Amino acid sequence: MLARCGFGRRGLLKFAIAMTSSLALPPSVAPVMAANLAKAKRRSVIWLSFQECTGCLETLLRSSSPTIDQLIFDFISLDYQESLMAAAGSAAEQTLREAMAANKGEYLLAIDGSIPVKDGGVYSLTGGRSNLSMLEEVAADAKAVLAIGTCAAYGGIPKAYPNPTGAVGVEDLVSNKPIVNIPGCPPVPEVLSGVLVHFISFGRLPELDDRKRPLAYFGTTIHDQCYRRPFYDQGKFAKSFDDDGARQGWCLFELGCKGPVTHNACASLKWNGGTSFPIEAGHGCIGCSEPDFWDAGGFYTSLAGGSATGWKSAGIAAAVGLAGGAAAALSTRIATPLEDAPASPPEKTPPEKTPPDKLP
Amino acid sequence: MTLLAFARGPALQAAVLIMIAGICWRLAGIFLLRRRKRFALPRASVTGRIGGAFTTILTRFVPRRTFWPRIAVSVMLSGVFHIGLLIILLGGAPHIQVIHQVTGLTWPNLPKGLIVIVSGLTLASMIGLLIRRVLNPVLRLLSTVDDYLSWLLVFLPVLSGVLLSGETIGGYGTLLALHILSVELLMIWLPFGKLMHMLLVFAGRGAMGIDFARKGAAT
Amino acid sequence: MTDFSFLADDALVDALIMEIAGLLRRLIEHGEAGIIDVLGLPLPPSCVASLEQRLGHGEVTVRLDAAGASEIRETGIPGVWWTRHSNEQGRLVAMLIEVTFVPEILKANIADVVRGAERLPALTNVALRARGADVALRARGAGRPHDAS
Repeated sequence: MLARCGFGRRGLLKFAIAMTSSLALPPSVAPVMAANLAKAKRRSVIWLSFQECTGCLETLLRSSSPTIDQLIFDFISLDYQESLMAAAGSAAEQTLREAMAANKGEYLLAIDGSIPVKDGGVYSLTGGRSNLSMLEEVAADAKAVLAIGTCAAYGGIPKAYPNPTGAVGVEDLVSNKPIVNIPGCPPVPEVLSGVLVHFISFGRLPELDDRKRPLAYFGTTIHDQCYRRPFYDQGKFAKSFDDDGARQGWCLFELGCKGPVTHNACASLKWNGGTSFPIEAGHGCIGCSEPDFWDAGGFYTSLAGGSATGWKSAGIAAAVGLAGGAAAALSTRIATPLEDAPASPPEKTPPEKTPPDKLP
Repeated sequence: MTLLAFARGPALQAAVLIMIAGICWRLAGIFLLRRRKRFALPRASVTGRIGGAFTTILTRFVPRRTFWPRIAVSVMLSGVFHIGLLIILLGGAPHIQVIHQVTGLTWPNLPKGLIVIVSGLTLASMIGLLIRRVLNPVLRLLSTVDDYLSWLLVFLPVLSGVLLSGETIGGYGTLLALHILSVELLMIWLPFGKLMHMLLVFAGRGAMGIDFARKGAAT
Repeated sequence: MTDFSFLADDALVDALIMEIAGLLRRLIEHGEAGIIDVLGLPLPPSCVASLEQRLGHGEVTVRLDAAGASEIRETGIPGVWWTRHSNEQGRLVAMLIEVTFVPEILKANIADVVRGAERLPALTNVALRARGADVALRARGAGRPHDAS
């Protein structure tokens, strides 16, 4: 099948070798993967976009390995995607229904964007229908759900304080289907391709961590793979953006880098086909693949610091303390009687002093 | 909310406010107490009363030769602990960062390897002090919950800090959260137990110094 | 602080060479091929370069053009091949050390051979002239016998 599409046997084997390396599978698995890919029918994928900015789709369009055209022509059948497909309106709704019926129980459901639940989910509608009810219906017959981007995985930016629409991630709403979270704002596109290729080759999702992220890509932190790490270990930190230290590759910890607590593949896979990633461009990691990263206390506050109180609250606390202490001291002062000054010399006469020459 | 976000956010705010309120409470509660009236005239003194206060603060750092054989071990353990803690707090890069965030001051940091060695010595001296407290019959008799709790609340931050800097045991995010939370527990307990000696030792020695200077005694 | 990283490099390279030795033994005794995914190892680039240098260059270098360029080179140790795969954008996507008689990717696959055999008659002058194509057939090595592996 794939040979007809222009991907020769050797090209397919090479692709499989690259994929097994990327997925951290043993290289001996590559021929098995290539054989499975050659035989595989294109997997139906239904992509629903909810409360999102379209950044996750944009990042997928810039995937380099495989490219988006390779992906949708050779590996998957992208049966429904509102931005990319030609159909619109009722024709689009018909497409969705047909795709669901034709692939019932077998299609992969890809979601980007969070789902607002407040007020019956009225804050995000497609064709007059709430995302909440769409998710319920389409997920019911899906084989697995891919939550693409931090919004779909954990709620993302719509969930940031004060979360006026009641936005939540997919895992808070879907409980009876296998879910893979592919977080990132946006996610590294090769991660999504890796997950899809794994699923198509082996019929199952790759190994996931406790946050349902593929271990192959989210098993290590940015910190562990960062090329600036030797400078962190030596205590050489950039003090301001693009200063001499930063240009020499010094660590960006003091400029707010959240690399040590962020799991993602940016430092190894990088972006735009391995061109660069934020830290290489001189900006600290913002932790965009972790839940609630928007509310984690500021992108430019280092992990060593936090957001404590302002001077006003500190002043009030001090005043309260002083008041309490003063009250305590006052009550002690009232309770203990005043010392009297000695009024007159003692009545007893002092003993007679023995003259020195009379001493023995 | 993740544990780390909690530690760096609401928990930090609460701990700082409780610590400030608590310190002000205790200092006000002590300094606003009635002082004993002195009816004798003050004697002449070389240093004057304020000078006497500062002199006593400094002289009490040096143990008296007469007592040295008996107190040598505890003074050395205590010295390693206090000086070690000072080096860690003022020399460690992330701690300088915190101070910079609060005050705007900054200075060069010490190498990480040195801080790790000092941390090890500090932890060892703390264990030594605990062993001494438990084995010495008099100390054991005198020790209260305050003594053991204060020890634990200082031990945990140093231990979690050195594990965090080693980056071998546990995830960075979890260890960092535990380190910050342990410091916050220390901050909350600080004003109410014997850890308050951080500030009161200077007040106490100073008061003694003023008194001695007033009496014309050596400070 | 003195930089002792060069020692660590040596230890890593030594360990890998011992692993390759083990794979070679398996190849000799059981005919089983082995692969090491170099990019998947936590190796600094200096280590990779050092290892490649130590293994040296052999007699065979193959250039593969399939979904991007690849280079498969026999090292100074026969049976140990150093492979670099790049994608169409020229980015390195895989680096392998293969311990085998001939890397699998070089061999022609039977299905491809069958398909090729079916296409071959259409390349004769008679067939091409019948299709009206003005093509001069140059002997490009077609018809040279090659050894069966």
